[in-house]
This record gives sequence, structure tokens and C-alpha cells, in this order.
Amino acid sequence: MESRNRLLLLTAAVAATFLLSGCASFRWPWHKDKVEKQQTEDEAAAEEEAEDADSTPPRVIEPNVARRKIKVPKIDNENWEVGLGMGFMSIEDFGTSSTYAAQLSYHVTEDFFFRLDAGQSTAGRTSFETLGGNIELLTGDERRFTYYSLSLGYNFLPGEVFLGRKLAMNSGFYLLGGIGSVKFAGDNRLTLNLGAGYRVLPTDWLAIHLGVQDRVFDSDLLGETKVTNNFETLLSATVFF
Amino acid sequence: MEPSITTTRSRRLRRTSLAFALVLACSAPVTSLAKQTEEEKAAKAAAAQEKLLQVFVSEPYLELSTGPGRGYPVFRVVEREQSVDVLFRRTDWFKVRDEQGVEGWARARDMRRTKLADGSPFVFNLGDRAGFTSHDWELGIGGGDYGGANLISAYGAYSLTDYMKVELTLSQFLGNSSNGYKAELGLMHVIVPEWRISPILELGTGFVITEPRATIVLPSDRTDQTAYAGAGIRAYLTRRFFVRADYRWHTVFTSRDDNQELEEWKVVIACFF
Repeated sequence: MESRNRLLLLTAAVAATFLLSGCASFRWPWHKDKVEKQQTEDEAAAEEEAEDADSTPPRVIEPNVARRKIKVPKIDNENWEVGLGMGFMSIEDFGTSSTYAAQLSYHVTEDFFFRLDAGQSTAGRTSFETLGGNIELLTGDERRFTYYSLSLGYNFLPGEVFLGRKLAMNSGFYLLGGIGSVKFAGDNRLTLNLGAGYRVLPTDWLAIHLGVQDRVFDSDLLGETKVTNNFETLLSATVFF
Repeated sequence: MEPSITTTRSRRLRRTSLAFALVLACSAPVTSLAKQTEEEKAAKAAAAQEKLLQVFVSEPYLELSTGPGRGYPVFRVVEREQSVDVLFRRTDWFKVRDEQGVEGWARARDMRRTKLADGSPFVFNLGDRAGFTSHDWELGIGGGDYGGANLISAYGAYSLTDYMKVELTLSQFLGNSSNGYKAELGLMHVIVPEWRISPILELGTGFVITEPRATIVLPSDRTDQTAYAGAGIRAYLTRRFFVRADYRWHTVFTSRDDNQELEEWKVVIACFF
């Protein structure tokens, strides 16, 4: 009786084992569908993602830094030079008298500059007038000697001057040549001018000039036409701007 | 002028500064006033400095000379990555101040190789062949002949474009029968500005003041309107210089029955900037 019970139990156990294992390994049809659906969904999403990656450009990381904008200020060009001077003008046959002049220069390169000179002097008496007593060749107004010239200057010998051990100033020796005009004895004459000057710059904007120029023109004041040489010595102060 | 590079002061100088300090101590109110003005000066200097352009050396070094010329000695070198403030420019030299406050002259060619604070190159007009093609201003002086009289002439021109310029010519003529002055405003057309030698065409108007010579009996001074058409050439020389030669055909609208026609030719040496 006991062995029969045991047989029954064993049979039940074997049956249960088969049954359970069969349940685990058996795929139900609806379960299979569900799994496949899930798989296709995953694949579709992956494809979509891949497509997205192809169509949109890669994301650029914008740096959170403001780019500095440089506003270039206008650079001060100091090529113009203007000034006043005084000195002596030796007017041929009419003695030497004081002269007052203004000058304007434009420095084109370190070597060359253009210069406009304008000045006025008053002629003295000729020796003929002095010796002859009461003779007056020219009226007071005609004795005014007014001139201007347009010149090209060449900085011939630039350099430095030294005042003691501590002070050095830039300097330069220059040559000038040009054309111009003079109004003298009631007439205008074409002049040629040739000269040289020495310039010292105590500061960058101030210059002291000492210059000599010969202003040459034809004159027929004393009977015959002749070339007159009129030397001018000028001390002037100019400022650069 | 650069500051002295001497580091040890002489005994006499030290004595002087001691005396100076003593005077300053005695005059306290004056000192405070002086201090105030000094502060103001410093503030002004700082304000002025703010407007200065700062450029950075990108080459191994930037040389500073004592003067604006090729012969002046180099007394200081500014190293790469250091900056200089541009104070002003004279011809082809820049006066600059370095980070230590030392001032000197730097060559334009070297300054062309510096960079601005944003890394872009420092660009400016160098005054070369390219500048001849394209520039703002022209200035020239010259001489020639105006209806048989000697002519002295100066002109200034402003470029509307590289091809078209407005020019003002001031001249004086000195002849056997009459002297005079004229001022003319006109247009100048440069046919091919990029060529080294280019033809130019001119058209303009102005007025002429004629003064008969004292020796010849003629009506007194007169002012007439004048118009001209002209042609010429301009040729680049070197750096900022060029030469210009032109012929102008003038019509002077006199108060008499018929107009006066005069020929003018001249040669001018000019610069651009």
C-alpha cells in the first residue's frame, strides 16, 4: 500500500516537472507578436535617429565670450609746420634792412618737404641817393619789398645736438630751392630762390630755424637790366601740427 | 626726447632735490595746490592716453630710434607681445610710448607688422605705389607759361574717387605787358589711376586779376571770369611724389567785345597723402 502511494507521488512529481518545464519553454503566439513588435519599434527609432544625425549639422558650442571690438582712433599726423621769423634782407643796391616772414611747410617724407615763405622788408637808400643829396629814386610805398616763394626742401644732414650730458635735441641741415615772386618798386618780378637752413627741435612740436636764402631776380631799376642777388638771413620759430 | 637712462644720480643733483624737498615742506599750502594741479594733469594725461591706439609687437622685436630718420640710433627694443601706444605720426615714422613709458620713434614699415588688441593687423597708408593709385589729397607746386607770361602755380586736390578729383589752383603770372593772379576750381579726371604714367583731363572755371605793368599805359586792374579745358599726364616718381605736366586752354570772359583766348602749360611736382 505504501509503495503504491510512493509511485503515485513520484508520477505526480515527474508530471509536474514536465508540465512546468513545458510552460517555460513554450512560446505563446501572442507573446511572440509582442516581442517582434517591440523589436521593430526599437529598430525604427534607431533608424530615425540615424536619419536625424545626417540631416542636421553638428551642434556648435558657442563660447560665452564677447569679442573685443577695436575702434581705431584717428592717428594724429604732424606733417605741417607753421611759424614766424625775423631777420635781415640785403636788397641789392638798396642796403640791408630788417625783414619779417612767415613760413608754412609740409613734410612729405623724412627727406623732402614743400615750403611756402612770405615776407616783407623795406628797402633803404642807394649810395647814389645818399651821395646825391636830395634825390629820391623810389617813393615810400615803392620801397616796400614784399616776396613769397614756393620751395622744395631736402633734409641734407639730419642729426642731433647735445647740450651738456643730459639734453639731446634732434636737428637737421637742409637745402631749399624754388620759385616765387617779389613786389618791389611798383613792379612784380619772378624770383628764383636758393638757400640752406639749420633746424633744431627742442621738443617734438617746436623747431628753431636759422636760414639763409638768396632771392634772385632781374631788375632794371638803375638803368640797365641786371640779375640781382638778395640775401635773406632769418631766425624763425615754427610749430608742428 | 627720451628720459635719461642714468640710474645713479650725481651728488649735486641729490643735494638739489634735498633742497627742493625742504622748500616744498615749508610751503605746505603751495604744495597742496601743486599736488592738486598735478593730479589734474595726471587725470588729463590719463584721459588723453585713453584715446591713444595701442598696438602689439608681433615680430620678434620693434626698434625705437631717437629721431624720425634712418640715421638716428636705435636706443630701445620692444619685445614680442608687448604693446606700444601710438602718439602721433610724422612722415614715415610713428612716435610711440612703450609699457615702461619710454617714448621713441618707430619706422612705419615696422609698425605695419604690429597687431591691434583683437589680433588684426595695424593697417595705414604707407605712401607707396598703391597710395599713388588711391589717396585722398594731392598738393603740388610748379611753374610754366601763361599766354607768354611766366607762371608760378600751386594746387591742392581732393579725390572724390580714384578717377575724379576736385582741384583748386592758385597762380601768379608775370609778363612783359601785365602781371596778375588767378584762382581756379575744376575737375580732374585721371584716365587710368593704376598706371605709373596716366593721362589726365581737366575742366574748370575761376577768375583772373590782371594788373597792367607800370611802364605800359593800359586800363587799370581788372577782374575777369575764366574757364579752361585741359589735358596732361601724371607720372609716379618715388615714395609720395609724382610729377604732373599739363596744357590748359583758357577762355577769359572780358568786358570787351570779344573773349580772350590763352594757352597755359606747366610742370608741377606734387605729393599725395
